[in-house]
Amino acid sequence: MRRLLRHLILCCLLGMALAASAQPLSAQVVLVSSESAPAYAETTRSLLDALQRSGLSAGAVDVLSPDELTRRADAGRLGPARIFVGLGVRATQSLLAVDVNAPVLSTLIPRRSFEQLLRASGRKASDQLSAIYLDQSLRRQIALVRLALPQAQQIGVLLGPDSVAKLPELRTQAQGAALLVRPAEVVSDQALFPALREVLDGSDVFLALADPVVFNSTSIQNILLSSFRARVPMMAFSTAYVRAGASLALYSSPTQVGKQAGLVVMAALRSGHLPEQPIEPDDFLVDVNPNVTRALGLTLDGVELRQALRRLERLP
Amino acid sequence: MKSPLNATRRDSTGHRASAVALCLVLLCPTVGAQVTAVSERDYLADMPVVLSVSRLPQRLDETPGAMTIIDREFIRQSGARDVVDVLRLVPGFQTSTSFESDAPQANYHGSFSVYSARIQVLIDGRSVYSTYLFGSVAPGLMSVTLDDIERIEVFRGSNSAVYGARAMLGVVNIVTRSAADSLGIRAGVNHGENGIQDAQLSLGWQVMGSPMRLSVDQRGDDGLTGSNGHNRVQRANFRAELAVAADAQLEVRAGWLGIDAGRGFATNANAPLRDTVYGSSFVQFDWKKSVGSSHDYAVGFAHMQESFVDVAPYALAPVALDYSGVASNDSLKFESVHRLDSDLRYVWGAEWRRESVTSQPLYNTGSAIVTDFTRLFTNVEWRLAKDVLLNAGGMAERSSASGSTFAPRMMLNWQATAGHTLRAGVAKAFRPPSVFEKQGDIRYSVANQLLLVTTLARGRVEPESVLTRELGYLAEVGLFNSRLDVRVFDEAIGGFIQSQKYALPAGTSLYPSEPRDYINGESLSIRGLEAQWQSRPWLGSRLALNLERSQMVLTAPGLDLDLLSAVPRTAYTVSLRQQLPAGWEFAVNHRYLDSVTLPSTSSYRGSLSRTDWRVAKTLRWGQYRGEIALTVQNAGGDLLDYGTDFSFPRQAFVTLRLQD
Repeated sequence: MRRLLRHLILCCLLGMALAASAQPLSAQVVLVSSESAPAYAETTRSLLDALQRSGLSAGAVDVLSPDELTRRADAGRLGPARIFVGLGVRATQSLLAVDVNAPVLSTLIPRRSFEQLLRASGRKASDQLSAIYLDQSLRRQIALVRLALPQAQQIGVLLGPDSVAKLPELRTQAQGAALLVRPAEVVSDQALFPALREVLDGSDVFLALADPVVFNSTSIQNILLSSFRARVPMMAFSTAYVRAGASLALYSSPTQVGKQAGLVVMAALRSGHLPEQPIEPDDFLVDVNPNVTRALGLTLDGVELRQALRRLERLP
Repeated sequence: MKSPLNATRRDSTGHRASAVALCLVLLCPTVGAQVTAVSERDYLADMPVVLSVSRLPQRLDETPGAMTIIDREFIRQSGARDVVDVLRLVPGFQTSTSFESDAPQANYHGSFSVYSARIQVLIDGRSVYSTYLFGSVAPGLMSVTLDDIERIEVFRGSNSAVYGARAMLGVVNIVTRSAADSLGIRAGVNHGENGIQDAQLSLGWQVMGSPMRLSVDQRGDDGLTGSNGHNRVQRANFRAELAVAADAQLEVRAGWLGIDAGRGFATNANAPLRDTVYGSSFVQFDWKKSVGSSHDYAVGFAHMQESFVDVAPYALAPVALDYSGVASNDSLKFESVHRLDSDLRYVWGAEWRRESVTSQPLYNTGSAIVTDFTRLFTNVEWRLAKDVLLNAGGMAERSSASGSTFAPRMMLNWQATAGHTLRAGVAKAFRPPSVFEKQGDIRYSVANQLLLVTTLARGRVEPESVLTRELGYLAEVGLFNSRLDVRVFDEAIGGFIQSQKYALPAGTSLYPSEPRDYINGESLSIRGLEAQWQSRPWLGSRLALNLERSQMVLTAPGLDLDLLSAVPRTAYTVSLRQQLPAGWEFAVNHRYLDSVTLPSTSSYRGSLSRTDWRVAKTLRWGQYRGEIALTVQNAGGDLLDYGTDFSFPRQAFVTLRLQD
């Protein structure tokens, strides 16, 4: 029912945007969403809620698709918006491709994707172009490993072309938490099983780092079955992986992302600039699969772990 | 860009086995992952449920009964060369290494005959019950090489509610290694005294992301002292795990087993020296699909074919002593597992099974004797309170030969405190008579003149039953990393199937015939206690102690007092493994049974004691890992086995194993 409502709200928002498309933009905030899937709709709704709670009227926000943005920019009808917000890679890409003449905040975007877009467009992060990352810092992930599995000594990671760049920092963070990293690289489908064997043999926890070459709907079956057979709990990066069979996941929900983006947008409207450096998500959830953890002989509570992690980071 | 990764990469072994894999490529519709750069979709996309309800096994403190789990480490340290030799160390088990009947036997709570018919053996969910002759799981126990096994779960106690008739006294559930966990090459040899010559080769590879494994091996030795030994077991087993969809998997298995065994005696006209050949092959398909994290189902089909050649001339008359035959079975089953909420999960399913056996010499007909089984089963796992779990279920089974039975079971597990669980339960189980017990007809004729009838079953025998009542205690404590499992049981067997001779009317045959028939005889009760303590008391150690006290009680006036000694009054096992510096390891296993009978000499009473030890050192040559070991079995010298004519000698052998 809630999901249906979200869809309805998004449809209404998109419908309003469509109705306004013939007119030049007069909104203060232009929100560009990469897709209309539920996660984007939820982020949009949460962001609008945050803006409205801060006193911005609903009419001050326009929601566009990337194609819509491009068409308006081509027609010179972007109007005097004071800030543009991109949800996801495609939206951010379209915002970087047009001269919007206002601060651009990218959100619902992984750090690696944002950095790649900056490189591709020859731009740099600044107080006019910034981001709120979707992925959790390695420091936070390692801290959660310590909290959830205090006996763990070795942490296994499967790395692909995207995530391999994280290895040096992962090693540094792990070392600080007295953990040894057992890495293996997956360069193709054929390399998955040998790499899994290498990673799971001797690891106390298996940390999943997003990389579509390694973690995708095709490979997930073999990865989860192998880690379960090896009795190595997997810590993943989204709630979908916990449903699929990961022991736990650390992630920021679309609602949390939208709320944080709303606060950053209001601050930017007041000050005229964004945080100079992209920022980490300031809120997160810890999901636990009780059936899998029970079968592995673990007792974990997601709510307690989240609170402990927030206390550790001195978050309110 | 140079990768910052220092891990060693392994090359696929696909080219090594591509010829074998060729036919399976077409079966493998896996679609490779769509490779793109990371984006928010990786964090937001939905994923198929993989570890669904049926993939998550019960914890030991939630299982409805006593369970012994044997892992790869224990199998390796035991120095065993086949599954039966490992089961020897499980509480309540009596085993033989003889090939005199069909293959080495394993029995739980009583070696009642030379055939193992009262336990069920499953390999990856497939029943390996052999229809031939009395019905036996012994050839099935030989159909898998130890190196292919991930673990053996021995459920000690009746489990017909889940596995049907034949799981009367217990279940041996053999789980083979996933092909995904055994990619590459593995090879091993055993060479030693008493003609021990074993060799094994296993290849694992991938086809379009689906792992597969082919293993072939041979086990050979000269058998028991006193036997017409020269036993050779050859096996080939194939396994593939095809990810047909993100939320479904098709597992394909196929295998072949050949047992060449020498039997008989130079001086016994009824059992002359001869060579026998047993062969079996199977194919198995299992399709598993997750509907969600709380519901999934599986469909499985298996076909097995057997042949047996055991024929020799009779010295005193122009007839052949022939026990040859062929058999087959097919099984189609469906299983659906649901979790309603965190406190309630249930499974239900159905199976159709057809068993066929053809043997002119055993049944006096050239026609196939076909038995159909239909089974419906359900089991509920219901957490009544935070600390109380109820397992309740039953199986309704209909046999076209023996009628219908219903085998219920109920077990209550109460976690008294953390790490301490008490169990109490009751179960009823049945074993239908085998085809031979129902329709055996062995007769010898010359030129249309009937000389003698040695077996003529009158078909009146009904299924035998067991009512099991048991109490259990499981403790998992930090002291010495210990696990203690105690089982106190009373297994009341009714209508125990026994042979009984009767006289045929004079003139029926040239010589007066007193053929064997099979009847529902004794009512007896097996009572006792089994305690199993496993621990890792200090670094690099693994210590296990089993203690068993049991007693056979005839609960009704009986005829066969030999049955009373079918189980030992006292038995114990001590197993110790200690890792030493520089990759060395030492293990010793000792098993003792006090006064028991032998399978083929029920009048014998004597104790049996066997000690095995093993010294091993790990090896590493470049990318190859391995082990070299010296094993001495039965260090104490000759040990009676199977019958008073045979003994298991002291035998030593060297093992060399390598894998990439």
